[in-house]
Amino acid sequence: MRLTEEKVKSWLRDNRFPVPDGGPATNASDAAVIAERLGSVAVKAIIPTGRRGKAGAVHLVDTPEDAAEAASTMIGQTINGYPVTDVYVESKFTIDEEYYLSFAFGPRAPKVVISRQGGVEIEQTFECDPDAVITADVDPLDDLKPWDAVGLWERSGVGGPVLARLGQLTSRLYAAFREADATMIECNPIAADSDGQLSLVGAMMEIDDNALFRHRYWTNEGHGFGAEGRILNEREIAVMRANETLPGGALRYTELDGNIGILMGGGGASLLQHDMVVDLGGKLANHTDFSPAPSIDKPLAVLNAILENPNTKGLLVSFNYLQLLPCDILVGALSEALKQHNVDAHTFPVVVRVFGPGEEEARAMIEEFPGVRYMPPKASLDDAVKLIVDLTNEAVNGGNAS
Amino acid sequence: MSILIDDSTRVLVQGITGSQGRFDTEYCVAYGTNIVAGVTPGRGGQDVNGIPVYNTVKSAVDVSGATASVIYVPAPGIKDAVLEAVDAGIKVIVALTENVPRHDAAIAVAATRAAGAWLIGFNTNGMISPGKSKLGGIGGDRANELYVPGRIGVCSRSGGMSAELSAALAAGGYGVSSCISMGGDPIIGNDMVEYARMFEDDPDTDAMLFYGEPGSENEQGLARALRDGEITKPVVAMVAGVFQESHPAGLSFGHVAAMIRSADDSASAKQKLLSESGAHIAHRLGEISELLKKRLG
Repeated sequence: MRLTEEKVKSWLRDNRFPVPDGGPATNASDAAVIAERLGSVAVKAIIPTGRRGKAGAVHLVDTPEDAAEAASTMIGQTINGYPVTDVYVESKFTIDEEYYLSFAFGPRAPKVVISRQGGVEIEQTFECDPDAVITADVDPLDDLKPWDAVGLWERSGVGGPVLARLGQLTSRLYAAFREADATMIECNPIAADSDGQLSLVGAMMEIDDNALFRHRYWTNEGHGFGAEGRILNEREIAVMRANETLPGGALRYTELDGNIGILMGGGGASLLQHDMVVDLGGKLANHTDFSPAPSIDKPLAVLNAILENPNTKGLLVSFNYLQLLPCDILVGALSEALKQHNVDAHTFPVVVRVFGPGEEEARAMIEEFPGVRYMPPKASLDDAVKLIVDLTNEAVNGGNAS
Repeated sequence: MSILIDDSTRVLVQGITGSQGRFDTEYCVAYGTNIVAGVTPGRGGQDVNGIPVYNTVKSAVDVSGATASVIYVPAPGIKDAVLEAVDAGIKVIVALTENVPRHDAAIAVAATRAAGAWLIGFNTNGMISPGKSKLGGIGGDRANELYVPGRIGVCSRSGGMSAELSAALAAGGYGVSSCISMGGDPIIGNDMVEYARMFEDDPDTDAMLFYGEPGSENEQGLARALRDGEITKPVVAMVAGVFQESHPAGLSFGHVAAMIRSADDSASAKQKLLSESGAHIAHRLGEISELLKKRLG
């Protein structure tokens, strides 16, 4: 879950990290009130993306009137694909030096990346001056010690009184990164004023969705945005809510722009079948990732979303050989969804490839739905994919002709 | 021979009293796995279908001499369950739990590796040495049908795909020496190349089959070992997820691990790299046996 700026800043403030004074505003007059108090400010659109400066989403102003105007210019606009509903009004920090600090995950362990050159994109620094960027693994079984952090900053070319402060800040922020179950924190820039006082002026953060169970604080913060900040539609939000509230493994549902709806299990089979659909000239209406659940509720939530998507013209329910979940639970959910949505499988093709425990019962259930194609035993993933692509094409073209 | 486990391996099950633990263990016992103990804190002294249950891994190991553990513990408790197994001296750990918090996974993996133990997972359905032993849900009640004994080592980033790959091998007249679902989470215990090295050293494995996805550095490591001549047995690989490259980067698809992070870890880049390093790339399940026949005859 990617957090927007006002949430990151308030989390940093709560954890006693130095951040510029500021606050969110949903309209021009609220923005003016904050600017009145702070003087010269930056007015920034609250959207879950970086590079806001380039997108015209950051205005530097000196008066409350200009702050109000900046706010009303941005609110209601769409910037980088996101509708702007509020802005963050923040005191302008007098910057003498700028530094860069981030934590993220490598293949096995967290990494710390620092640079003596903040305020520009880190890729750019790395390209022009690779020695200014220091990257190090952090041992997950240990802390990031202040003195080790000092060593890293020293290697990056930082010296003087600010070194100890940067070391302390880095060590403390790493502890907070771990405590918050963050997967990424990027501070760019960390600004130092002429007295060497530090402030986290730019700060982005992503929280591990899989750790939300121990962070009630964040649970209600992310609704409306997908893993990478994409805006979710009502069906995607419904599935996300179902995922959070119903028992069972993780459930994901992402809509795409094609017409074949799919409920596929096992990330691997999903990827492979998706590749095959594309190879055969088909287009998917959604992607799913679904893990075993003890009841029909979770698969039903996804199937409802798929069948409510107006672009869906056919449905493929195809899993790897099921070793964890009885077929009759999954196909039970399918029967329920087909009933609820009055699906006629003669005009809306449905292909099922679900093998494993409970298969006999599942096949018996499907017999109540004439037209649904339950693949014969030993049919491969290729066979099921080919059938749904052909049947959906037929259904769509037939529909156009009539 | 087979890798990691055989029919003499003594196995315990952490979380044996839960529904998944019971369900899988029953099939494992029927398959011939030597399951000697279960662990569930608070259920010590009970038994599950005759398998004695202990409160701690340590006490289970002391009595049973188990050296492998299969763990059925939900995400909030999985880190501690792995650390407990490592502490008790377990050498092969299968952690089925998926979507493990990243920091927890990093800690559990670091501790396992520091102890010289092996961790299959997170997000695996286990491993099987056909005809000998299986750990986890792999193969369910049809392990005999899906995993035919033979001389191809299989390692898959996806649990479910391990069954499809092995069934495809069987359809082409090949069998499996050992098949490992290595784990699909972003952070897993051991890398693809570490399994490749085991297969390279296994006299009962003639060739290897790997299934990979975008979003990790596993295939890059394997490619390097092929180029360096460290792996000399024939390697066939499938890498799924090419479709993602035509969608905006960052959409959440498939395993969480299957997220496009850079051009280099896209499916097609991995296919290209492996192919240039001497691996044979299959795009359909049916092609796997054809490629093997060309190399093995």
